[in-house]
Order: sequence, then C-alpha cells, then structure tokens
Amino acid sequence: MANLRKPKPAEDSSKKALVYSKFYAGKVEVAPKVPVRSLDDFAIWYTPGVAAVSKAIEADPDLSFDYTGRWNTVAVVTDGSRVLGLGKIGPEGALPVMEGKALIYNYLGGVNAIPLPVRVGSEEELISFVKALEPSLGGVNLEDIESPKCFEVLDRLRAEMKIPVWHDDQQGTAGVTLAALYNALEVTGRKLKGSRIVLFGAGSANIATERLLVEAGVDSRDIVVLDTKGILYPEREDVDKLMLKNKWKYEIAIHTNGDRITGGLEEALEGADVLVAAAGQGPDAITRDQVSRMNKRAITFFLANPVPEMLPGAAHKAGAEVVATGRSDYPNQVNNSLLFPAIFRGALDVRARTITDQMVIDAAKELAAFAKERGLSKNYIIPTMVQWEVYPRVAAAVSQAAVREGQARRRLSRKESFRMAMEMIEHSRKVMSSLRRSGIIRDPPE
Amino acid sequence: MTPQNRRKSSASGPQGTTPIQIHRALKGDASSIADLVVRTKRLNNEFDPLFAVVEDAKSRAEKYIVSTIGSPDKLLLVAADGSKIVGVLRAEMRERIFYDPHVEGLVTDFYILPEYRRKALGNQMIKQASAKLKEMGAQIIVADVPSQNEIATRFYVKRGFRSLNQFFGKSP
Repeated sequence: MANLRKPKPAEDSSKKALVYSKFYAGKVEVAPKVPVRSLDDFAIWYTPGVAAVSKAIEADPDLSFDYTGRWNTVAVVTDGSRVLGLGKIGPEGALPVMEGKALIYNYLGGVNAIPLPVRVGSEEELISFVKALEPSLGGVNLEDIESPKCFEVLDRLRAEMKIPVWHDDQQGTAGVTLAALYNALEVTGRKLKGSRIVLFGAGSANIATERLLVEAGVDSRDIVVLDTKGILYPEREDVDKLMLKNKWKYEIAIHTNGDRITGGLEEALEGADVLVAAAGQGPDAITRDQVSRMNKRAITFFLANPVPEMLPGAAHKAGAEVVATGRSDYPNQVNNSLLFPAIFRGALDVRARTITDQMVIDAAKELAAFAKERGLSKNYIIPTMVQWEVYPRVAAAVSQAAVREGQARRRLSRKESFRMAMEMIEHSRKVMSSLRRSGIIRDPPE
Repeated sequence: MTPQNRRKSSASGPQGTTPIQIHRALKGDASSIADLVVRTKRLNNEFDPLFAVVEDAKSRAEKYIVSTIGSPDKLLLVAADGSKIVGVLRAEMRERIFYDPHVEGLVTDFYILPEYRRKALGNQMIKQASAKLKEMGAQIIVADVPSQNEIATRFYVKRGFRSLNQFFGKSP
C-alpha cells in the first residue's frame, strides 16, 4: 500500500538499491549511546555494576522502561508472507524491506527499530514468537503479513500484549486515509457523517479503514465495500463461507451497505461521495464511466503502489474533484510514512500499553489539522513528508490520546510530549548529519 | 474493539422494530425456506467435498420442505422478520430401536441469515423446537451437523448437548 517504497523512477532506484545495499551491507546497526571512557566503564555498563540494575528491574519489571532502551525499541516483524507486491518471498527476502522500515522509524520518528523477519510454520508460532519478545520491546510493528492471517495475528497480539502492536498495512493505511479524507471532505463541503463511502478492495487496508471510519463516526450503513466478487451484502451467496474463512470481511458484509446495493463498482458508485480504492490492478481497474456516476465534487483515493487503480488525470476528467494516490509524483500522497513514525514516537514517549483506534483517529485529525493550517486546496489535503514538523505534532496528539484513554504508563502533558517528540526526532536527524559530516556514513558510490 | 456505530439489537431485526416471530412454517413459505436450506447445504460443502451440492438443490429443497409441512412426525419452524423468513429449523421424530430413551427428535436443518445471528434467535429457536419435539413424544433431542462445523459444535455444546455419534465417510 501507500508508503515510501515506490521507486521513482523505478529502474533507476532499483539499480541504485542493488549497488548501495551491497556497498553499505545493512541500513541500520546497533550503536552505543553511553560513553566508554575506558575499559573500566564496562564495570558499570556490564558486570558487576549492571547486577544492581537487574535486581531493581526484577523487583519492578516496569523499571525496564526507565533503566534500559526498551522504552524506545520497536521490532519490525514479518513472516515474509506478503512482501510489497511481491507476494510470499520469505523472511530473508523481506529483510531489506524491514531494514528500510527501521530506517524510516529511526530518521522520521527517532525510534530505535530492529528489523526482524522470522521463519515460522504457523500463525500460532508467529503469535507466540512476538509475544516472547515483549520484555525487550516498547512496541511491535507487524509488516507484510498476508490477509486474513494479519487480522488474527494483530487482534490476538493487541489483546495479549501490554505494549503497542501495530500492523502498518492495516492501521497505518487506515489512519493516513482518514486524515486525507477529513480534509477532502472539508474541501468539498462535506461532513464525515452522512457521506456515502465506497471502499473498493477488501484486503488489510480497506478492512482496517472500514473499522476506523466507523470508529470515527461514520454509520456503517453508509459504507459499501467491494471485494473481487463485487459488493458485499448480508445475503450474498458466499457470506457463510466468509464467516469461516475471513470473519473480518464477514462482519463488514453484515454491517455495511444499509441500502442493500448489489452488483459491481458501477452500482456502488452511483450517488457515492467518496471512493477509496485499495485493490491494485491499475491504471485501468476503475473507468471514467464508473467515477462519473459519483456525486458532484467527488472524492477519489487510489492507493495502490506503484500503479494507482486509476490515474488522477482520468479521475478528474470523470468529474472527481479531489484525487489522492500513494505516489509522491502526484498531489495528495496518502503515505503511511506520514503516520507510523509519529504514532510510535507518541506511544513510546508515554510508554503506552496499546495503540487504540482513538489514538489513530486523533493522529489523523492532527495530520489533517496541520495541512489545514497551511491552506487546503484540492491539491493539498495532506502534509508532505518534507514537512517534518508534523511528526512531533502528531506524536503529541497520540501521547495525549493514550493518556486520556488510560493507556499511558507515564503521563505527560501535551507540551511535554511535544517537546520530547521534538527532541527525539531532532536527535535522530542530528546523529545522521553528524555521522555523515564525520565520514562515518560515507556518501554512496557513483 | 467492536465499533460503536455497528447496529446491535436483540429484540428486533434489521428490517424494523417489530420482534422476530418464530412459528411453524406455512405452505406459502416453502420457497424462501428452501433458499435457506440450500444455504445450509452450501455451507456444509465448505467443510467437506463429500458435501458437494447438486445443481437442482433448490427444487429438491422445495419438495423436501413441502413434504415436511403438514407431516405429523416432522417439525418445521421459521423465524420471520415481518414477511421475510430469516431462519429455519427442521426436525423429525425417529425411533431408536436398540436404545433407551427410544424416541429422538432429530434436528436435520438449522439456518439463520447472517445479519440475524448473535441476537439469541438461534437459542430461542432450538428451545421452542425442543419443547415442540417433546410434545410430539421426543425423549431426547439430537442434531446432525458436519464434524468440521465448529460453529455448530460450539452452539450445541454451549447448550448442554454432547457428541453422541461420529459419522465417517469416504469414497469407495
């Protein structure tokens, strides 16, 4: 889905990625953050001194958030079952992607992220592996896990772990979509409640988006969701099968589509206000005729990468007013990287126990507010990644939501959480520039 | 984590505010009941390929239902939301030649439309069916479901049923 991974232009960045990856042999590394003035210091950082710290933590395990780097450490875990658009390429194949994700966490969020693809034989094994990591971590980022497995894994881990577990392909995409939608509605003079919303594609992104929209106040009856077989509705022939195979899609089939529309995209878009496509198979997965059936001043998001389901030019010609894609070379890039570094920055700063949907909604609102302060237009509904000041803002919104929701181990005021997030993110940027300046991180080969 | 804006109700169905009525099926209901019966069979096919559903299942189901309605040793209950049939339970009396108790009421078909589930409707239907089967002479109530149907298994176990038989099958 929408994220940083889109090559631009594709061939050029593919070539560079191969050369650079070999040159640097790894994008992130564990680096010290304490001074080693002499070897004597190891008596403090390691045995015998460290035993005192261990005993203190043994007496109160939550002290591990204060005495170690746990509080700022996130594992980027995948089983390699659905990596990018490449499918099941295995954990080793997923490693460069997870390294890239870890790098973004570090640079944009000041988060110490560890790439961790794992070889597991079953869903249950993946769940128990991640659970076993809990003592070392402040949070978990799940990545590139196939649907519907990803739903069960996320739901179970969220319920069974006392640290935030995040699946970016679900919550990240849903959150950033909601942010863009808030402003698209504003630009076209609509309200979230009462808008008729069509979700094209029923994979991890749109299933999560549906849930978040409902959490944000949309009446589920105003949402119509389509999968590869067409519009979902309670009486559809295969609904019982969904109950057994994909209970998340089953729920959607039962609760959405109050008007009982049946058929395909034509029927769904008739009189719709918003289209969120996360279905792939662009650039002609959606036709001009289909979009032209939508209400005036329509909002259309085409989130597939690298090729959107429909190109913005065609959508505008078909009457869409606001068009967003996952790509940086068109206006309105709906990009997960706008959200996940800030979500974790905010969650980690207050030692959050989980990331609730409300925390994601507040993050989306803050992201939207940031763009609004700079002046909305149909070509600017969401901040761009270069506006990095947005990250501490969103992080503070997340921290505050965690405190409000009773999910924070440490209570910070909005001011404190903003300052902390700012410091953490600035720290990462400073480390990068100082490592580059000193030549420790070299410039890439020609 | 269930979103608050999902509609939840126990007393009434999505069509309106009137409670769902459970009653014996009428002749005119046969076609809609047959649709639901075919759905149960299609669902069974998800559990095992030996439950592949025949092409003319609908017309067979209609005959099956028509022959059930009015038969003194069979029971056909429907749940209706207004004029819409949203659930069906079919049962028949059977003799247990070698065992005591020797009369059983066997639930052969039981289906509720997805959006009417989790509203205690299944519970009401099985309760009413049990009472009616008892009136008809049943000394025990049994139900026939595919072994792999864990949802049905959970439904019955939760209500005090236990697995009595296993029914094995293979292609010869």
